[in-house]
Amino acid sequence: MAREGRAAEPVTLRERAASGPGPGRPRGSDPAGARAARGSWRRFASSPVAVVGLVLTVLFVLVAALTSVIAPTDPFSFAGTPFEPPSAKHWLGTDDLGRDVGAGVVHGARTSLFVGVAVAGASLVIGTVVGGVAGFAGGKVDDLLMRLTELSQVLPRFFLALTVVALFGPGLTNMVLVLALTSWELTARVSRSGVLAVRELEYVTAAEALGSSPWRNLRTHVLPNTIAPVVALASLQVGGAILIEASLSFLGLGDPNVISWGYMLNNAQSFVRRAWWMSVFPGLAIAVAVLGVNLLGDALNDFWNPRSRSGGASA
Amino acid sequence: MRRLRLIGAILALALLAASCGDDGSDEPVSQPAEPAAEGPSAEPETAAEEPAEEPAPAAEPEPAAEPETAAEEPADEEPAAESEPAAEEPAAEDPRRGGTLVIALSDDPGHFNPGITTGFNVHAVTGSIFNGLVELDDNANPHPDLAESWDVSDDSTQYTFHLAQGVRWHDGEPLTSADVKFTFENVLLDYHSRTRGGLSGILESIDTPDATTVVFNFTQPYAALLQRLNSTEAPILPKHIYEGVDDVQTADANLTPVGTGPFKLESYDIDNEITLVRNDDYFKAGLPYLDRVVMRVIPDQNTQVLALEEGEVDYIWRVPGGDIERLGSDDSITLHNINSGPGGGFCIPTLTFNSDREVFSDLRVRQAIAHAVNRDQLVAQVLFGQGRVATGPINSQMAFAYSDDVTSYPYDVDRATALLDEAGYASGGTRFSIDLLVFSFGVFPKYAEVMRQNLAEVGIDVVVTPLDRSAFIPRVFGERDFDTNIISYCNNTDPSIGVARMYISSNIGDIPFSNGAAYINPAIDVLFDEAASTPDVARRGELYAEIQRILTAELPYLWLVETQFTAGSGANVQGLQANSGHVAETAYFEE
Amino acid sequence: MVRYTVRRLLQAVPLVFGAAVVTWILIHAAPGDPIVALAGEDGDAGYYAMMRERFGLDRPLHEQLFVYLGRLAQGDLGFSYRQNRSAVSVILDQLPATLLLMVPALAVASVIGISVGTLAAARKNSALDNTARTATLLGHAVPVFWLSQVLLLLFALRFDWFPVQGRSDARAGYEGFRALLDVGHHMVLPIAALVTVYVPPIMRVTRAAVIENLDEMYIRAARARGQSRRRVLIRHALPNAMLPIVTVIGSQIGFMFAGSVLVETVFAWPGLGRLLLSAILARDFAIITAMLLMLSVTIILMNLITDLVYSLLDPRVRHGT
Repeated sequence: MAREGRAAEPVTLRERAASGPGPGRPRGSDPAGARAARGSWRRFASSPVAVVGLVLTVLFVLVAALTSVIAPTDPFSFAGTPFEPPSAKHWLGTDDLGRDVGAGVVHGARTSLFVGVAVAGASLVIGTVVGGVAGFAGGKVDDLLMRLTELSQVLPRFFLALTVVALFGPGLTNMVLVLALTSWELTARVSRSGVLAVRELEYVTAAEALGSSPWRNLRTHVLPNTIAPVVALASLQVGGAILIEASLSFLGLGDPNVISWGYMLNNAQSFVRRAWWMSVFPGLAIAVAVLGVNLLGDALNDFWNPRSRSGGASA
Repeated sequence: MRRLRLIGAILALALLAASCGDDGSDEPVSQPAEPAAEGPSAEPETAAEEPAEEPAPAAEPEPAAEPETAAEEPADEEPAAESEPAAEEPAAEDPRRGGTLVIALSDDPGHFNPGITTGFNVHAVTGSIFNGLVELDDNANPHPDLAESWDVSDDSTQYTFHLAQGVRWHDGEPLTSADVKFTFENVLLDYHSRTRGGLSGILESIDTPDATTVVFNFTQPYAALLQRLNSTEAPILPKHIYEGVDDVQTADANLTPVGTGPFKLESYDIDNEITLVRNDDYFKAGLPYLDRVVMRVIPDQNTQVLALEEGEVDYIWRVPGGDIERLGSDDSITLHNINSGPGGGFCIPTLTFNSDREVFSDLRVRQAIAHAVNRDQLVAQVLFGQGRVATGPINSQMAFAYSDDVTSYPYDVDRATALLDEAGYASGGTRFSIDLLVFSFGVFPKYAEVMRQNLAEVGIDVVVTPLDRSAFIPRVFGERDFDTNIISYCNNTDPSIGVARMYISSNIGDIPFSNGAAYINPAIDVLFDEAASTPDVARRGELYAEIQRILTAELPYLWLVETQFTAGSGANVQGLQANSGHVAETAYFEE
Repeated sequence: MVRYTVRRLLQAVPLVFGAAVVTWILIHAAPGDPIVALAGEDGDAGYYAMMRERFGLDRPLHEQLFVYLGRLAQGDLGFSYRQNRSAVSVILDQLPATLLLMVPALAVASVIGISVGTLAAARKNSALDNTARTATLLGHAVPVFWLSQVLLLLFALRFDWFPVQGRSDARAGYEGFRALLDVGHHMVLPIAALVTVYVPPIMRVTRAAVIENLDEMYIRAARARGQSRRRVLIRHALPNAMLPIVTVIGSQIGFMFAGSVLVETVFAWPGLGRLLLSAILARDFAIITAMLLMLSVTIILMNLITDLVYSLLDPRVRHGT
C-alpha cells in the first residue's frame, strides 16, 4: 500500500522511505541523533547547493521581514506617472497606474512567504497528527486514517485549488486551506512509519515495561526521530505553494487587496509589449525565491530523508 | 483613423444595398427604407444612420428621438467614423469577393440558438446566421432587415411589418410571417430574457394577416419596439425546424442552425473554432462578399490583440484600452469606435451605494465619496481616454434625454474630508471600512483599484472583491450582501429601457441589473412613468432633465464614466459593421 | 496476483466515491448560480425560477448529491446544460488537444531527463552533474506561464518564427500533410515550455535512482567480476531505475496537467485547461465535477498500475502493509 504517486510532490521512492517493509530505517537512537545534528551542520555547510539555498532563502525571508524598512511606501499607492521605465527614482519602473514595481516586488515577498510557510506549516501539523495517531492507535483507526490519507492524495491539488478559489472567491485564506488540505499525505506517511519503527525498537518496549508514560515516550523517543524528516518534507512544500499561488493569480484568481508577484504578473500581461519591467521583475523574484527554498529543502531532505528524493515542486 | 471614415461609408453603402432589396413601395409613414440611401450624401455628420428628414413628426415619438442622439454624437470623441461627406465613393466599385475573415471570440458559444439567450458569444456568431426584423445602426436607428418597411399607429400601440420578398431559410424553405409569430410566441417571450422582460407584459397579440405581414398589438403605447427587433434582441427562427420540438432549449437544432442570414454554419469545433460559409441565396442581392467567416476562440484579450497584430485574426470585438494607442498608430490595423455592440450600448460604469447600509444613509458620506473618487484618473488610466467622466444617470450621447443641469461632484479631496468630518466620522486613520464588489473580468478590477487608493486618501478603507458573473449577480441582487459595487449599466437605446430600471421602487429585488441601491423615491417613480408614456419628445426631455436633477442631488449611485467600445480589424478589411451582430455581412478584403 | 489485483481494484472503489463526494460538495457549496450564466443577462425572477426547476437545481442539496452518486454508480458523470451533452463526451472531445501537447512534451522530456540524469549519476558531483542539477532546479523554480510568455515574446513576436495562438492557421484551411505541418508549427512553443517543466522531476529521479542502484550490492558484485563501469550502468543500473521513473511519470500526472493548463492559457490552445476555466465561469457543475473526478481516477489508476508492476517484481509488496 504505498507508492501512490502524488501530483507535483516529492514523489519517488518514497514507498521505501515511508513505509518500506524491509529494513525500514529508524534513524538512530536518541544520543546518536543529537550527535548527528551537530555533525550535520558541517556536512550541510560543505554542500554548495545547500549554502546557495540557505543564502537565497535567508535573503527572501529578510526582504519579507523588512519590507517596511526597504520599501516603506504602500505598494498600491500612485507613486509616479504610469509606465515609467526603471530609473533612479523607481528602480524597477512603475506600472499602468504609476505604482512602484520595486515596492510591489518587495511587498510581494511577504505574501509569497506567508503562503509558502502557511501551507507547509499546516500540512506539517495535519500530517504529523494524522500519521502519529494512526501509528500509535493502529487497527481500525489506522485503517481509516490511512484511507483518508489516500483520499487526500488522489485529489488533483492544483485543479482543486483553482476550482475552490474561482468558486469561493479569491483570498489567500481559501488558497492556503485547499493547498494545506491536499499536501499532508506524505508527511502523514513518514510520521506514521517513524512512529511504527520507533515503537518496535526494543528500547521503547523496555521503557514501556519500566512504566514510563506513553506521552513521555512520544516526547523522548518518537518525536526526535520523526520531526526532522517531517520538517524536511514540509520545506519542500514551500516552493510548490508559492508557484501555485502565482499561477492562480496569473489566471486572475489572486486577491486584489494583497500585493503578490502573481497579481503583478497578471496585471503585467496586458502591457507586455509596452512595459517589459512590469513582468520581468516579479517573474525573476518568483524564480529566485522558489529556487532558494527548493535548494534548501532539497539539502535538508538529503540529510534527513536520504532515500526520499524530491520530485520537486509543482507549477 | 482615416480608415474609420471609410468604414462609415461602407456601412452606409451596405445599408443602401440592403434597402435596395425592398422596392421602396408601400405606405411607410415613418421609417422607410430610403433614409439610409440619403444618409451619406445628405448628412455629413453621420454617414449611415441619419434618416435626416425628421421622420414623420408626431407619428411616433421614438424614432424621432433617436436621430438626434445620433447627430450629436461624434462631437467630442474621435471625429471617428463620420464627417467625410461623400468621399465614401471608393466602395462604389464592386467590392472584391472571396476570402476568409477570421474573428476572435472570447469563449465558446455552446450552441447557436440566439432566441434563448442574450449571451454575447452566441450572438457574436448567430448575428451572421440569423436576421432580425430590423437592424440598428450605431445610434440605435432602425434600418430594414427582414422587414423591408413598417408602419406605426399614431398612438404607438400597433406596429405593422412588411417582410422582404423571397427570403429563404438556409434549407430552402421560404420565410413567412408565421415564422415571426412563432419565434416571438414560442421562443423569445419565454427564453430571451431581455425580450421577455421588455415585452411580455405589454404585447397583446401578434397577427399575421398574410404571409409577408406581421402586426404587433400592444396594450399600451410602446415607443421603443423598433429598438428591440434587431438580430440580437429578436432574431427570427425557423418555425418548421422548431415547431414540435420537445424543448427548445435543448433541441439538437440548436447545434445545426438554419437561418436566413448571410452565412451558414459549416463546421463547429468546440472551444476552438466555428466556420461559417457564404449563403449563396442571401436575400440581400450581392451579399455577402466573403466566402467564409471563421470564429476563432481566444479567451484572453491580450492574446487576441497579439493575434490581430500578427495578422492571425482579422477582427476583434474589443480592443483593451491599453492597446489602443499602439494599435492606433499601426498602419496595418483599423480601430472602430462605437457606442454599442451586441450586448448593450451607451454604458455608464456606476458605483452603487447599498442604501440598506447605515453608513450610506447619510448623504454627506455619498457626496464625500463622489468628491474623493478621481474620475479623470479613471478615464485616463483605466480607459486610456476611451470615454469621459459621467455627469449623471443618462449618457451624454443620448441627446434628447440628457441634461447637464445637474449637481456635479468634481474631484476634491478637501471637500470630501470636510464632508466626512461633518458626518461625524472621525478623521485620522481609517474612518470606516466598506467592501466593493466588481466583476472579475475586463477593467472592472482596475476601476476598483484606483478607487481603493482614492478613498484611502480620505480615510475610507476599501476591500475589493472581484467575483465572476455567476457569483456577482445573486450576491448583489439576491442576497443584497454588499456595501458598494460597480456595474456597467447600459442606457440601451432609450432611458425607459436602460435607465428607469435602476431607480424605480418596483424594481428592487432578485432581478439582475435592477435597482441595486434599493433607492426609493415616489416622485422619481412618477416621473419615469410619465416619461415612458409621453409621446412628445421635448416633454420627455424635460421630464428626464428633472429626473437627472433629482438623482444627482440625492446621489443613490455614483456615475463614474461613460465608456466607448473600440473594435479592431486588419486594415485590409473593409465594410465591417462593428456595432452589430451582422459584422461580416458587408465585409470584404481590399485588393 | 489476480487476487491482489482484485483486492486493489475493490479498494479503489470507495476512493473514487470519496473523491466524488468531496469534489461535488466543494463545488456545490460555493456561491454562484449556474442559471445566471445559462440565461444570459437581464432575466426576471420568474424566468430564473423556471430555469432552476427545469434543471433540478431547486431541490435540496443533499437530494442532488444522492441523485448524482446514483448516476455515478451507473457510470453517468453528469450532463452539461451549457453544452447540451454528457459531461464525459465534452471532456473526451477536448482531451486529444491536451494530449497533443502533453504526450510529445513528455516524450521529449523523458529522453532528456533520463539520459542527462543517468549521465549525471554516473559522474556524481562532476561539472556535468552540477550544471544539470542547477539547470533542473532553475527549471523548477521558473513559473511555467511566465516562461511561456517570454518564449512567446521572443519567438513569436520578436523573431516571428512561430504563431502566437491556437492550434492551426484559421484562415488557410490547410488539408492533408500541410495541415499536419501547420499544427506542428503551432505546437513548438507550447511544447518547449512544457518540456522545461517536465524535465526536472524526471531527471532528478533518474539520477537519484541510478545512484542508488549503483550502490547496490549486486552491482558491486558485478563490478567485482570485472565488468566495466559503463557496462554495469547500462545493463544493470538503468533498467532497475526505470521503475521509479515510470512511477514519477505516473504520479506526476496531475502536475503535468496543471502545467498544460497554464501553457494552454498563454498560447490560447484549445484543450482541457480552457474547458475547465470556461466551465467554472459558467458554473457548469457537471463539467467541473466530472473533470476533477476523472483526474482523481487517473491518479488512482496510475497508482494501481505502478503498484501492480511493483508487486510483480517484488512479492513482498503483495503481503506487505
